[in-house]
Amino acid sequence: MSRRVFVIDEKDNVATVITDELKAGAEVQLEKPENKTVQLQDDISYGHKFAVRKISRGEKIMKYGMPIGKASRDIAQGEHIHTHNVEAIRARGDLVADQVE
Amino acid sequence: MESFYGFVRDNEQVGVRNYLLVLSGTIYANEVVNRVAGTVPNAVGITHPLGRCQTRGDLRKTFNTLVGFGKNPNAGAVIVVEHYKEEGCTASQIAEEIAKTGKPVATVNIHDCGGTLEATTKTFRYALDFARKISTQQREKVAVDKLLLGLNCGTSDTTSGLAPNPALGKCSDRLIDLGGRSIIAETTEFIGGEDVLAERAVNQKVAQEIYRIVNNMEEEILAEGEDIRGSQPTGDNMAGGLSTLEEKSLGAIKKSGSQPIQGVLDWAQEPPSDSGLYIMDTPGHGGESITGIAAGGAQVLVFTTGGGHTISHPLMPTLKVTANEQSLELMRDTIDIDITDVFASGLSLNEAGERIYQEVLATCSGKLTKCEVLGEQTGMAIAREAPSV
Repeated sequence: MSRRVFVIDEKDNVATVITDELKAGAEVQLEKPENKTVQLQDDISYGHKFAVRKISRGEKIMKYGMPIGKASRDIAQGEHIHTHNVEAIRARGDLVADQVE
Repeated sequence: MESFYGFVRDNEQVGVRNYLLVLSGTIYANEVVNRVAGTVPNAVGITHPLGRCQTRGDLRKTFNTLVGFGKNPNAGAVIVVEHYKEEGCTASQIAEEIAKTGKPVATVNIHDCGGTLEATTKTFRYALDFARKISTQQREKVAVDKLLLGLNCGTSDTTSGLAPNPALGKCSDRLIDLGGRSIIAETTEFIGGEDVLAERAVNQKVAQEIYRIVNNMEEEILAEGEDIRGSQPTGDNMAGGLSTLEEKSLGAIKKSGSQPIQGVLDWAQEPPSDSGLYIMDTPGHGGESITGIAAGGAQVLVFTTGGGHTISHPLMPTLKVTANEQSLELMRDTIDIDITDVFASGLSLNEAGERIYQEVLATCSGKLTKCEVLGEQTGMAIAREAPSV
């Protein structure tokens, strides 16, 4: 059976999409949390992620049950998640440089 | 007994190839090496821009890498060429270490020969002798516990952490269950995943080593005072859906499987002979990480990719695997193992791991990788820390 939408861990607040066919407005049923249905707010291209629930600015983005960064603004359920609304926490030399200045 | 057919060396290590290795000691020997290795069948030439005007630490790194290539069991015989004796990395110092394996080694110094043409002739004469000598060696059946498998990833995307990396982890787990060894590298791509790795360390000392190398790498990045997004994750990583370095790391470490971590190795360091999984401290740059792994003695490497890749080390067959249907179409000339059915039809990660494992064994018994057929040798890069001096 074809598998195209992945929520890896129960703690995750994002799903990864392995198809180019999911467009804004589509209703996606998830395996985790069980049978939850999410309506997409954006087109989600191959390999990209969407929020499986509302995420507030500053909240950790969870994938593999681990933090992969934090929300740089409020994110709605079903919204595309990528560099425009998530930022890395680790190895941020730019933030160190800002503090020095 | 699970087995493959390889070339048993005097020191009981086993090669999966039987190359005549022609090695540049310094940059200025490169053309002599190319001339000879480009002509002699089954010769591999390795050239590089280093071995001159390096800081002591970097010259040591170059030396260890060249020695490691010579000791790699895929080399049946070795010729080291230099233009001048660079103390700390001379051809005879390199050859002396390689000779400990028992394989035939020779050195050529261009200056002592009376110039580049005489040096070329002398190198050819050694090659004539060595190539015929090693050509008589036959493959023998040996147990898979003789294998040291390299684990690496590149041009990763979000498919990498879902399918090829965990599938490669299954392959590595199985090899280690059977007494073999694996090496995972790319320290940059442990950042954000170090707790997961440290939990699997065999003891507290190894756990501390893992934190030490990750902290050092992160400190070096922070010291640059730069926004590294675009370099880590790379532009192609982000196009593939990876948003942050932490996301890339947590996917990347999946290729280490679930075995305990036995130890942390320096660049190009050979792991102990005890079975198990080892970490090598290398940059995230794919060419540099697989070069460190090849110099550490790995006979074969599996390179997982999301977006597709051309990488292949000249001395160590480098199998590429992807689960991304789009990349398979775009980069099919250099992808060896197709596990796109993980997404298309629900192939399990165990089954995908088994497919990788079987292709590793076939390759180790002599099956050519696509890059070997095409002569792609894009994966040789010696890491350095300081500028040239």
